[in-house]
Amino acid sequence: MIKIPSYIHFTKPGLMTSIQDLGRFNLAQFGIPYSGAMDRYSLAQVNFLLQNKKGASVLEMANLGPEMVFERPTRIVFAGAEAEIIWNKKKNIKNGQILEIEEEDVIKIKNFKKGQWLYMGIQGGFETEEVAGSKSWYPNITPRDKIIKNDSICYLSEEERFYPSVEPKAKVRSDWYGNHQIHVYPGPEWHLLPHLLQNRILKKSFTISDLINRMAYQLKEEIANDLPQILTAPVYPGTVQLTPGGNLIILMRDAQVTGGYPRILQVDNFSLNVLSQKRAGDKIKFSIL
Amino acid sequence: MDIRFFRTHSKLVEFIWPPLISEEILRALIKVQYYLEKEYGEGIKEIRKGYHTLSLRLQEDISEQDCQDLIEEFKRIPAEPQDEDAAKTWTIPVLYGGEFGKDLDQLAKIHKLKAEDVVQMHSENVYTLHFYGFLPGFMYLGGLNPHLYTKRKERPERLIPKGTVAIGGQQTGIYPQESPGGWYAIGSCPIPLFDIQKNPPVFARVGDLIRFKPIDLDTYRQIKEQVQQGNYKLKND
Repeated sequence: MIKIPSYIHFTKPGLMTSIQDLGRFNLAQFGIPYSGAMDRYSLAQVNFLLQNKKGASVLEMANLGPEMVFERPTRIVFAGAEAEIIWNKKKNIKNGQILEIEEEDVIKIKNFKKGQWLYMGIQGGFETEEVAGSKSWYPNITPRDKIIKNDSICYLSEEERFYPSVEPKAKVRSDWYGNHQIHVYPGPEWHLLPHLLQNRILKKSFTISDLINRMAYQLKEEIANDLPQILTAPVYPGTVQLTPGGNLIILMRDAQVTGGYPRILQVDNFSLNVLSQKRAGDKIKFSIL
Repeated sequence: MDIRFFRTHSKLVEFIWPPLISEEILRALIKVQYYLEKEYGEGIKEIRKGYHTLSLRLQEDISEQDCQDLIEEFKRIPAEPQDEDAAKTWTIPVLYGGEFGKDLDQLAKIHKLKAEDVVQMHSENVYTLHFYGFLPGFMYLGGLNPHLYTKRKERPERLIPKGTVAIGGQQTGIYPQESPGGWYAIGSCPIPLFDIQKNPPVFARVGDLIRFKPIDLDTYRQIKEQVQQGNYKLKND
């Protein structure tokens, strides 16, 4: 089996395009965030369809999507957000469909119709730098933190596919993240909130603001409160912080490892994938597990 | 010392000491952390520290009763063997004021002090490294002179340069990389504090002591040059 190092060239970088895998663990003691795919469920799907290793690295994209040219043959598949994917001149490429890429093939990602993050898996994963056990890009940890114009990323081209595909036209559904119910556990400072505020937070429907990135999603509605400040304490992806100004900030995969705002809720692991796929303007409701 | 616990779910629990920035609590946290790693290491995915909190992500489920029992166990841990884990003291050179510490005068004015007084107060104390957080390699230091406690700026700066020594709230710290921030920049440290290519990527261990030593512009430049040539060695005693 011959594997040839090959490159994907980005003619358009997109806005938030990066390489991610499951993340970088056990380095939080030095202040290093986990990072990793915002939506781990979709990462698992693309790797399963390609029969890759479970945590193989994938390309993570958001609106605006990139445009790229492949040097040599490989196989790719998409999952996560629903976007307009154009393969050479072919439109209507569906998530879950395995694309047999040939030399000089062009992929363009246009309009995002549903969801926030789109994932492109590639046979064997990407051949980008592994730093401290992970290929997930993060500023000052990996040499790059997002794709820029005329960037290239390496993969290993394999002419042959030495196993039968699971299903060349598997249907990857995206209704699983349509649910606006976000399951949460009470956080360490939840009990400092008066009952009235606890009830309001659980009854209210919240709107995702446009302050969303890999570090955190901020909600639009404000909850006036007089919770005391806390001394800096550990936080995780999924920790919901309530600021003195009343903002609710949900920490995401690139979250710093400690924080100084009261930690009122902790989002359940699977719900964090659902939440990550919400876009500015989408509604969510917290429900306690 | 009174220890409480909070169990977020069956695999995430934190043990909470009284809410103080204190060396005594830090030593207690370290002692418990070593004990947990030794006795229950394989059941624990990760232990994180805050000033008075030890947070555990677990491999195995933990019940409320288990947490209660653990607290009893913590109280019976024998005093730690000192020698091998003795705290080191690191001396970090700092060029105070000027273009590198552009907020020094403003901070002095807030406290009705002279800039020299701020420098003296900041460099005569010995600080304790409580934990890393905020940015990769950012040290949370306890021990700032209460005269220098300064409310963070209303509007955070868009960019604080790498190496900046700053004061915010009851804390002082060094920015290991450039970042936005609301702290007052009082100086700059010429040596890099974080290198992901090294294992560990930082020089100081939690519990170590940090001292700041004022240097002049010439020394600052010399050290920078030595760092670039790769022959600067940070000293500890």
